[in-house]
Amino acid sequence: MTWLTWRQFRVQAATALAVLAAFAVPLAATGSHLASLYRSDGVTGCHDGGCGQLASSFLDDAGTYTVVYMLGIAAIVLAPAVIGLFWGAPLIAHEFETGTFRLAWTQTITRTRWLASKLALPGLAAIAVTAGLSLMFGWWAAPIGQAARLATGSSFPLGMGPFSLLAFDAHGITPLGYAAFAFTLGATAGILLRRTIPAMAVTLAIFAAVQVAMPLGIRPHLFPPARTTAPIGSLSSLSGATHMSGGSFAFTVRNLPSQPGAWILSTTAVNAAGQPVSAVPAACTHQGQSCLASHGIQVAVTYQPTSRYWAIQWTETGIYLALALALAGYSFWRLNRRLS
Amino acid sequence: MTAVIETTGLGKRYRRLWALSDCTLSIPAGRVVGLVGPNGAGKTTLLSLATGLLAPSAGTIEVLAGPPPTGTAQLARVGFLAQGAPVYAGLSVADHLRLGAHLNPGWDTALARGRIGRLHLDPSQKAGTLTLAIAKRPDLLVLDEPVASLDPLARREFLADLMEAVTGQQLSVVLSSHLITDLERVCDYLIVLVASRIQVAGPVEELLATHHLLSGPRRDLATQPAGQQVISANHTDVQTTLLVRTSEPVLDPAWTVSGVSLEDLVLAYMRQAGPGRRNHHLEIRK
Repeated sequence: MTWLTWRQFRVQAATALAVLAAFAVPLAATGSHLASLYRSDGVTGCHDGGCGQLASSFLDDAGTYTVVYMLGIAAIVLAPAVIGLFWGAPLIAHEFETGTFRLAWTQTITRTRWLASKLALPGLAAIAVTAGLSLMFGWWAAPIGQAARLATGSSFPLGMGPFSLLAFDAHGITPLGYAAFAFTLGATAGILLRRTIPAMAVTLAIFAAVQVAMPLGIRPHLFPPARTTAPIGSLSSLSGATHMSGGSFAFTVRNLPSQPGAWILSTTAVNAAGQPVSAVPAACTHQGQSCLASHGIQVAVTYQPTSRYWAIQWTETGIYLALALALAGYSFWRLNRRLS
Repeated sequence: MTAVIETTGLGKRYRRLWALSDCTLSIPAGRVVGLVGPNGAGKTTLLSLATGLLAPSAGTIEVLAGPPPTGTAQLARVGFLAQGAPVYAGLSVADHLRLGAHLNPGWDTALARGRIGRLHLDPSQKAGTLTLAIAKRPDLLVLDEPVASLDPLARREFLADLMEAVTGQQLSVVLSSHLITDLERVCDYLIVLVASRIQVAGPVEELLATHHLLSGPRRDLATQPAGQQVISANHTDVQTTLLVRTSEPVLDPAWTVSGVSLEDLVLAYMRQAGPGRRNHHLEIRK
């Protein structure tokens, strides 16, 4: 059966290798220059106080690589969806459409072994391809990632923190989980719908929905957020700003100096007792921060510390792999129980 | 001889429509069985049940004295050529044979090579897919509408090739068609399936010996003896023509008795089941 799976998969495998090669060329060509830029800008050996400034100037110098950076992220973010649509969805659906499942299922091989073989080779290839993309990009973008954590007043896109929406999805091991999930999702949709195009449409819709729900609704809560409060007078040290317009608070806190790269989840104004304050005290309307400080108002910040980066990466990848396994298990059950 | 396919009250339902109902059959081994019926009668459903591609909604089915093939032991014993002879578009004939060799422990390489060499096969030709079904050395070969898309010459060649392959092996064959004329030169056992029900089944010789065409002066059917089952009746103003099934001789001197052709016999059963009851919408999509 492995022979047949390989015979049917070899064109896709060649395409995947071509894509990996095409991805590697620009990264290999520019990677060493980016690393030397990082060293020559002095970020490597910097000391506490000066690091932020040095990192920021490195990010300015690296601005010419913005396009490569964004294209790399786009490729890694889109790869699992493409795999789900073009490897997963047609995998079984096309056998149903052309009737070849009747040919396959009447050879001396059980449906379970047939499906196991069909899922295993392209599924592992899907994981390997995204692993390759993520490894190459991770190597190339390492200086940018380091600088983004250290930089003061970092900005989009090179200054994205490790937890920001696109950066997190394109680094580390999560792309592997996304690819495994998208592939099995496509295969399962194909088994249920038995038509390639509808299976592709359903795969895209569900995968997109999951990819939006994960960073917005689930990832922030994988671990209980840490919490800290800072006097409002020291707000500038929170690398943020406060606006007092018409009596309500609005904070933008991008970075905690004590936690470079931490994922800020929420910022609220609280009084000395730690209770939330929704409106600026009347006495302080159109007054400065010092007025708020004198009223004992502080800023409460909830965040995921940078030290949890890999714990969150592993947990999220685990969730996607578990989903992929559950879908695969369902596919086996479905194929054996509900005969054609 | 044991039965190659034995069913009791077998039925298959798609949502609320019965594609096959109350089917009780015992097909003896060593036969070439023709399964005949109009499109949508349930032929593909019956053959899919026999090859383990479908599970029954009612009744039981035994294939080669075991369960329908879903495990490897039974799968090895049943060869199947599905309707439309599906093949993998990107694979050549040689690739398909390699597929057969990889997926069937009992694969007969010499037989497969010999057939391909002799037939000068074109990838799309059914004889190629027939090779795939035969070279696994099954005990039962099931062919669903194998000649439907072939021109008359190709039909004859396909069936001659099939017969040659069958005589070389201890093999039972079940093949379906909506036209009896396709099958009458090869099959020695006949099943007529119309409107999801078995109308008649038996060895061809026996069917021909027990069905008679009676013609004579016009008369009322109620006067027919109890032993004669009227399959079809045609009346003109002065004459009545009957197709009857009986195991006893027809003694009434008013009748002129003649034999029936297999085609007349099948058509009579199809007419009896009624064209209005055909379930065209149940035809399995390829």
